[in-house]
Amino acid sequence: MSFEESTAAVQISKVAKSYGPTVALDSVSIDLRPGEVHALLGENGAGKSTLVKILSGVVKADGGSMSISGRHYAPHDIIDARSQGVATAFQELSLLPNLSVAENLMLPKMPAGVLGLASRRNTTAAARAILEEYDLAQFDPDTPVGVLSLSDRQRLEIARAFTHASKLLILDEPTAALADVEWLFRLVRRQKTRDTAILYISHRLGEVRSLCSRATILRNGKSIGTVALSGASDENIFEMMVGRSARQPVASHPSRDDHAAKALEVSGLSSGILRDVSFDVKRGEIVGIAALEGQGQRDLFRALIGLSRTKSGKVSVDGVQARISGPGPALKIGQGIAYLPEDRKSEGILAGLSTASNVVLPIMSRIARCGIVWPTRERSTARATAETVDLQQRYLNFKIDELSGGNQQKALLARVIMTGARTLLLFDPTRGVDVGTKQSIYEAIRTFAAEGGSVLFYSSELPELVHLAQRCIVLYGGRIFAEYAEDAIDEQTLVSALIGHAHGNKGGVAA
Amino acid sequence: MSAASDSLAVRPPRRRQSPLLRAIVSGTGIVALIYIILYALYAFWQPSALSVFTFTDLVNNSTPLALAAAGETFVVISRGFDLSVAGVVSLTNVVMAVYPLQGAGGALASLLICCVIGGVVGAVNGILVARLGLQTIAATLGTMIVCQGLALVILDAPGGMVADFVTYKLTDTLFGVVPVAGLFLLLVVILWLAFRRTDTGIGLYAIGADEQSARFSGVAASRVRIVAFIAAGMLYGVAGFMLSAQTATGNPTAGTPFLMLTFAAVALGGTSLSGGRGSLIGSILGAGTLMLLQKVLFSGGVSSFYTGIFQGFVLVLAIVFGNAVGWLLKKEERQ
Repeated sequence: MSFEESTAAVQISKVAKSYGPTVALDSVSIDLRPGEVHALLGENGAGKSTLVKILSGVVKADGGSMSISGRHYAPHDIIDARSQGVATAFQELSLLPNLSVAENLMLPKMPAGVLGLASRRNTTAAARAILEEYDLAQFDPDTPVGVLSLSDRQRLEIARAFTHASKLLILDEPTAALADVEWLFRLVRRQKTRDTAILYISHRLGEVRSLCSRATILRNGKSIGTVALSGASDENIFEMMVGRSARQPVASHPSRDDHAAKALEVSGLSSGILRDVSFDVKRGEIVGIAALEGQGQRDLFRALIGLSRTKSGKVSVDGVQARISGPGPALKIGQGIAYLPEDRKSEGILAGLSTASNVVLPIMSRIARCGIVWPTRERSTARATAETVDLQQRYLNFKIDELSGGNQQKALLARVIMTGARTLLLFDPTRGVDVGTKQSIYEAIRTFAAEGGSVLFYSSELPELVHLAQRCIVLYGGRIFAEYAEDAIDEQTLVSALIGHAHGNKGGVAA
Repeated sequence: MSAASDSLAVRPPRRRQSPLLRAIVSGTGIVALIYIILYALYAFWQPSALSVFTFTDLVNNSTPLALAAAGETFVVISRGFDLSVAGVVSLTNVVMAVYPLQGAGGALASLLICCVIGGVVGAVNGILVARLGLQTIAATLGTMIVCQGLALVILDAPGGMVADFVTYKLTDTLFGVVPVAGLFLLLVVILWLAFRRTDTGIGLYAIGADEQSARFSGVAASRVRIVAFIAAGMLYGVAGFMLSAQTATGNPTAGTPFLMLTFAAVALGGTSLSGGRGSLIGSILGAGTLMLLQKVLFSGGVSSFYTGIFQGFVLVLAIVFGNAVGWLLKKEERQ
């Protein structure tokens, strides 16, 4: 231990932070060696983002201490942190869309020209040098950042952090929008040789394993421990993250009843890029949709719930054929059909309202007495459903935007179940949530199906489809490309079908 | 799962359009075009419009609103609204009328006093907003009411007399052709162009687009915001000074009509009321357009009661047009 302390580049000891009564960080201690790429792992809400903010100088810690190369470190703002060699590539990106690439790279101080005013030429030149250094020479420094794609913006954010980090670089979910991770890996490996410590935060364990040597696990605001990644199995790590064994053996799918009534029947549906799609979902069945980005899955879900116009085709819910004109009317067709949207921030949560209000929203009128929704009744109604999705009751009184992403998602799932609809359309229900929350969400979905409900879900993660779906439909180019049932659903089969290869199509029916 | 997005990532980012095209389709370009069309109409109905006298008159009429709109632009770009413009214009106007300082030196001293009054009000606004976290409308509503109250204390009814030098020299022309008031505007434009190239100027656009990202990028957001309010306040002070030169008298409610027209001028000039986008030059042209419109309608024989209706129409049309052009460009870019 004493050996490690003497060589630590960055030392974080017993750092704590509370927001009023909410404890965000209880006690976190991490030692980073010079040149080390150190992973920070934890569920959503474990305190990772708070730690990042403290290290970057955005918020001040309430307790504990930090040091860099033996010197006390307590940045009072971002600039102060930068001047001490600490910089962060933020998960939510901190670029200004109305400024150019060059201006964004140079903020807050532009290279001066004549009269001490910012010189466009010097700014552009300085930016070009940075872009070249980080293998981004294809960027034009004069482009406004607003026209760049999300992945290009993420690269820019990362490159900017690299330029300011001489002691500690914090990469917060740096690959969330990056399709091509090799670029980042190259930079990270190069930085290793410069003795800059890197704190690497990612949900993707595969990435972490290929870049990092050690990992510190956070749970409930505490650092649970630091492990050498070579000596820890995924199961060990998951267990440390969630405090219990997360990977239960894959539950055998509940037996499927081929003769069950059809809950959802789609025939010849065309909408947007979706062409002539026909399938059905039976009562008690969980059907997965697999597709690469932009193969028509979005059009399918939006057409089914009436948010996009249908060009042709018929949709029946519980045997009732209907023209669905929107999520509200959809609840009243047959036994109802409800939708969990893709983007929880813009289409899902009502920030500013309590979690309980968010959950009971669809049945407001039903629980109202004399037209007024009494808070106690609201909470008691919400409590019952919160249990089914494993959402802790204390969260019901919080404003929903104070919850972590995973808990928000649980609340939204509770809301969808609350509608009483017997058919659920879930679009990427576990996007951006951690391992523990995923398990709770899977459990809730399975329970719902076991009780006779039907579920159609899309997922961007293959293991999830394999794990959850009883039947899996592959969309490719707006059409149904293949369909697999039960044991025929495995990752390799799906991967080849996703890119339009019918090979390895064992047991499946190519449509 | 990323085969589809990979191909997107590899594609090099698009070059931006030429600066000339951008200037034409920017809000400033559109309002400049409207101004030229209106002026042609004005000259058609009233040939004397092309004389130095009429032009000077127009510039004199437009300058107070143009200066006020120029000031407001700073706050609007930083994503805020500054209502104190009405208060500062009233206050400086009554100070000019009640405490006239004679001669060129007196005029200069008066100008400085006006700037200081505006600057102090702006600093108070800035501190209330940036340090104490008040909403901009709430904070500036407060300072506006206080300033209007102060104006009434200094002068409780229209009256007083502005110094002769200010009244005559500042509404006159230089060498018989250049309106003096226009020189004030020119100076403001030059200072603005320099300001845009300072770190604070770039920071202003940054905090207007996204204050948190700006902070995370290292911009001293509070300081930039306070500077914006002070600059705005000083320009309102100069607006009050030029208004006094024109009216030659004091009126404790002189600033009230400025409140709405200032925002109209800013919006007409293509500055986004949601922050981060726009230009002070556009606002000056916007103010000029609103005043020119009055003259055009008058010379066209339209009753002055209709002025407001037309101003509103032009404002909405200009913004709709600006949005349509922006939308078309984006669509083209996507293809």
